[in-house]
Amino acid sequence: MKKTLSLLLCVMLLVTASFTALADNDTYLGVMLGTNVMSLDTNLATDGDSFEVIADCIDGLMQMDADGAAVPAIAESYDLSDDGLTYTFHLRDAKWSNGTPVTAQDFVFAWRRIAQEAGEYAYMLDEIGNIKGAAEIIGSEKADPSTLGVSAPDDKTFVVELNVPVSFFPSLMYFPTFYPINEAFYTSLEEGTYGTSPETFLSNGAFILEDYTPGTANLSLKKNPDYWDADRIKLAGLKYQVVGSSDNALTAFRTGALHAVSISGNQVAAAEKDPELSKDLTVTGAGYLWYLSFSQTEKNAQGGMLANTNLRLAISNAIDRDNLVDNYVMDGSLATYTAVPPQFAASSTTGEDFSADQDMFSDYVGYDPDKALAYLEAAKTELGVDEFSFSMIYGNNEGDEVGKVAQAIKEDVEDALPGVTITLQPMTKAERLDKMQNDNYDIALTRWGPDYADPMTYLGMWVTNNSNNYGFWSNAEYDQLIADCTTGAYITDYDARWEAMYKAEALVMQEAVIAPLYTKALANLIAENVNGIQFHPVALNRVYKDVTME
Amino acid sequence: MAKYVCKRIGMAILTLLIITFLLFFLVRIMPGNPFPSERMSAEQIANKRAEMGLDDPILVQFVRYMSGVLRGDFGKGTSLYNGAPIKTVLSSAISNSFRIGGIAILLGTAVGLILGITAALHRGRFLDSFCTVFSILGVCVPSYVFLIFLQYNFSFRIPFFPYFFDPSRFLFSSVIPSLSLSLFTMSTIARFTRNEMVEVFDSDYVRLAESKGMYGRNLVMKHVLRNALIPIVTVLAPLVVDLLTGALVVEKIYGINGIGKLMVDAIAGEGIDYNYVLALGILYSALYIGIMLIVDLLYGVLDPRIRVSAKEGDA
Amino acid sequence: MQSGYTPQKGDFTFLHRQDLSTDTNFASQSYWKGVFVHFFHNRRAVTGLVIVLLILFFSLFGPVMNSFGYRDIVQYRNENNKRVVAKGIAPQIPALHRLFTGEELEGNFSEYTFLFGTDDLGRDLWTRTWYGARVSLLIAFVTIIIDMMIGMSYGLISGYFGGMVDNVMQRFVEIANSIPRLVIVSVLAIFMPKGMGLVIVALLLTEWIGMSKIARAEMLKIKEQEYVLASRTLGAGNGHIIFKEILPNTIGPIITQVMFSIPTAIFTEAFLSFVGVGIVLPQCSVGTLIEDGFNNITTLPYQILPPILVLALLMLGFNFIGDGLREALAPKLEDM
Repeated sequence: MKKTLSLLLCVMLLVTASFTALADNDTYLGVMLGTNVMSLDTNLATDGDSFEVIADCIDGLMQMDADGAAVPAIAESYDLSDDGLTYTFHLRDAKWSNGTPVTAQDFVFAWRRIAQEAGEYAYMLDEIGNIKGAAEIIGSEKADPSTLGVSAPDDKTFVVELNVPVSFFPSLMYFPTFYPINEAFYTSLEEGTYGTSPETFLSNGAFILEDYTPGTANLSLKKNPDYWDADRIKLAGLKYQVVGSSDNALTAFRTGALHAVSISGNQVAAAEKDPELSKDLTVTGAGYLWYLSFSQTEKNAQGGMLANTNLRLAISNAIDRDNLVDNYVMDGSLATYTAVPPQFAASSTTGEDFSADQDMFSDYVGYDPDKALAYLEAAKTELGVDEFSFSMIYGNNEGDEVGKVAQAIKEDVEDALPGVTITLQPMTKAERLDKMQNDNYDIALTRWGPDYADPMTYLGMWVTNNSNNYGFWSNAEYDQLIADCTTGAYITDYDARWEAMYKAEALVMQEAVIAPLYTKALANLIAENVNGIQFHPVALNRVYKDVTME
Repeated sequence: MAKYVCKRIGMAILTLLIITFLLFFLVRIMPGNPFPSERMSAEQIANKRAEMGLDDPILVQFVRYMSGVLRGDFGKGTSLYNGAPIKTVLSSAISNSFRIGGIAILLGTAVGLILGITAALHRGRFLDSFCTVFSILGVCVPSYVFLIFLQYNFSFRIPFFPYFFDPSRFLFSSVIPSLSLSLFTMSTIARFTRNEMVEVFDSDYVRLAESKGMYGRNLVMKHVLRNALIPIVTVLAPLVVDLLTGALVVEKIYGINGIGKLMVDAIAGEGIDYNYVLALGILYSALYIGIMLIVDLLYGVLDPRIRVSAKEGDA
Repeated sequence: MQSGYTPQKGDFTFLHRQDLSTDTNFASQSYWKGVFVHFFHNRRAVTGLVIVLLILFFSLFGPVMNSFGYRDIVQYRNENNKRVVAKGIAPQIPALHRLFTGEELEGNFSEYTFLFGTDDLGRDLWTRTWYGARVSLLIAFVTIIIDMMIGMSYGLISGYFGGMVDNVMQRFVEIANSIPRLVIVSVLAIFMPKGMGLVIVALLLTEWIGMSKIARAEMLKIKEQEYVLASRTLGAGNGHIIFKEILPNTIGPIITQVMFSIPTAIFTEAFLSFVGVGIVLPQCSVGTLIEDGFNNITTLPYQILPPILVLALLMLGFNFIGDGLREALAPKLEDM
């Protein structure tokens, strides 16, 4: 009897414990993360999830508005010199979470550090931002970081000098690589500990780190009462939870444990059928373009068979992209027939997205088995080979749909193109990247996400010797076009530049340098009482500054 | 005895050194880049490699690494949580995995033993068959499927347990993962216990004990179980190591920051993180070697006739 | 008083020449025949055998029982030239449905019979489950061989000789077991083509360790017993003692261990497939089917059931056979 009683007591205690904890969660927005936050250090973070959390906590010079345009954040305003080479940002009064003011020095320190450490995203400073001195510092270990073209004439003025005018420079400023770090705080920490706990991380943004250890599957942020725009923030805080599978995300959403999750494939189909869940389903663009990369070098693909344009065109035209997105990806992703994905990089003159017209290259890419067969016959005559056997590599840990898409492509290609065999080679993402970087593959199923809102983030990859040009395609005309757009003739003439980029894109498609497949979307489930989450395909995937919970 | 233990510990250190070196070497020929990057130039990556000393002769690197390890410094990650020292990341993963795994071991062993003994005592009857089917299902249903079953039913349909692991309510939120992890151990132990005990029950000396009027708990505990324990301890040992070092899918699904996920992230994430693979490898081997030593010592305790420590001539 | 009989040579013969001590009745059956008879008199063992044979039968002939191939995607083009794919269809038998409800099934593929439903890509799961069972049965048999050939001998020898031999052999086990499987397999994959061969090599590397530990423990326990000492005193060689005297007495735990290493090996294969080292897509195995089904376990729960049931039945069968064998082989059990 006593035993039963104590057991009952225990159970009741547990129940109350669980309910009080649930009540706690209610004022925080529960959000799913797809992967662990790798680093909160802007110099080391490389993934979208890390960038999102950093941006929750730190404001840069600019921030994104609901449409993805750059609007002032820490910079109240900025001036651009007449030659387009010098930006002068005027900072507002803002505070770090330890009380010290945010100064121009904080930006100078952070940017110099990025250039000096020369990490993954340092290329935003030199190749993209074209900041004076950046290329030299990043390229050489010995260069003095103080030669970077940034300066702080006073606490509230931050000056950046560029090598050439960069039309989209203000919109780079919301990318976390350009965020400030407080130098005094950073240097007071033990080496390597910055951003590894709430104590070793400073916010000047909407939220403060509340609970975090590196590698954790759940972290929480709370509202920063000293944020310069504190009135705008309605949320008490955010609770991030890393969720390992789409199926699990769906159930987590249904329990109410999370308010915003993203799901894929079969779970989207299930949610669409459910009258309650279908109301919460929102599809947003994720920006990533999935495409096939063809290695054109001698050592791969039966002695460089894929260097043949007709063969590449044959494969590209054999793939039913509508089938891929409708039946296998199933999350609202868009079938894509352009080298720059749609829903991205709006023109500032017409306001239309760069690749809004998906039919513009329909002569070269589309689903047409007859045309594919004709291309194949042409390739067979040119190469004098009748049988082709290629392997296709893809990362098995890059999303539920990737394996399905790879198998569907195999079936399509082998159906439409007699004599072509595709062997599937799933592997880890680490191995896929390694194989591509060492040019040890035939065909790769790979992706690229935009780093900044300009078509160049995609078109720049196919320049001869670019490190992302994994196919080793080379075309002098193309190289010239891109050079003109980035550093040459067209940089001050917006429309001419835009035209040149269309020309470049047409070249990529005519030669089937890549076979674009689909532009990834996110199928989000958002609880009915939550409003105002902003989704962007570029830079920061989700922004919570305007979120309200009823 | 003490001399034997000292000798074994000495040998363990040597073995650990060999393992670390092998791993040190193998991990470097694995496909994958310690600095995975699609944006850095070749020179930038080369500079990073040079900074980490990855271009030095492998023996130099090894000596440098080991001297770091001796000082308790396992370096920092290159592709994984690359800002933080490995010690910080590892300590929280270890504390989670060890505690959840520890509960699973206790649960699995205790319930497994009870099930096994019950089945053996009811040999050929319903309880025996039940135990057989249970233990077969227990090894056929992967722990993560059982986890989803528990999570779906007891965190969602009946929202009693937390849906995700919550370190601040450790015990309560470990119930589901520990229970699902313990299933395999439970089944294995139950099956081995049952089969071993049945065999011992049939042996001459138990017959003798029975004929001398010994029965009940005394007989079961003193003679039968003790004699059945040797294979049980043997199968339990590697399970203990596996459970302590975490389980990838269970950790991934229940949102646990644990060793299993860390290891797979280190090998199969964006790149290969040499330092994490090594640190986790050393941890795993040290645990394995330590537990094997304990098992060898236990043999002597369970059956005094066994002397693992015996010299060749005495055998 | 009788007298005068002189015992003759030939009245007595030496008993041992007649071999009276031998029970000819028992000896006329060979040991293996006894095992055989005993095994087939055990109802559970026979049930187990039947289950395994049935699974073997279906794995051979199941995939050809319907018109779908293991890699065929069931699909058609609708009037808008869009492809409609039979993906994620729950098990359906139109004939039965008609019989019980008198109505036709609804949906795009209502005329097809999918006994186990279809998978994410629109392939028939009946075909794929049995196709996968082939691969997994092969894995199971390879595991049994690895366990029996390598694991058992390794453990018995290590335990028997003890001392330095044991020491070296056990340290080797520690080394072999401590290199993470993912690492060693990735390195092997550089030198070997990926596929079944590599899976078997991967299993060869570590799958015997558990068995060797069990065999060693049994050896340590038994080798101190009197009959071993007696055997040795009588001059029996090491090989004879290990494999003829001790091995039959360790068979119980060894069989149990074999049974438990089979599902582990089957899941190992699935894990290797995930990192791309296992069988080549679009082939499948029970392990990979379970992992695929797991991705949709709450939304499409029927996908995971067939492979798990096949695996469970297979294991049930193996365990019954194992129990039967143990009872048939072990000389001291009551029912002998």
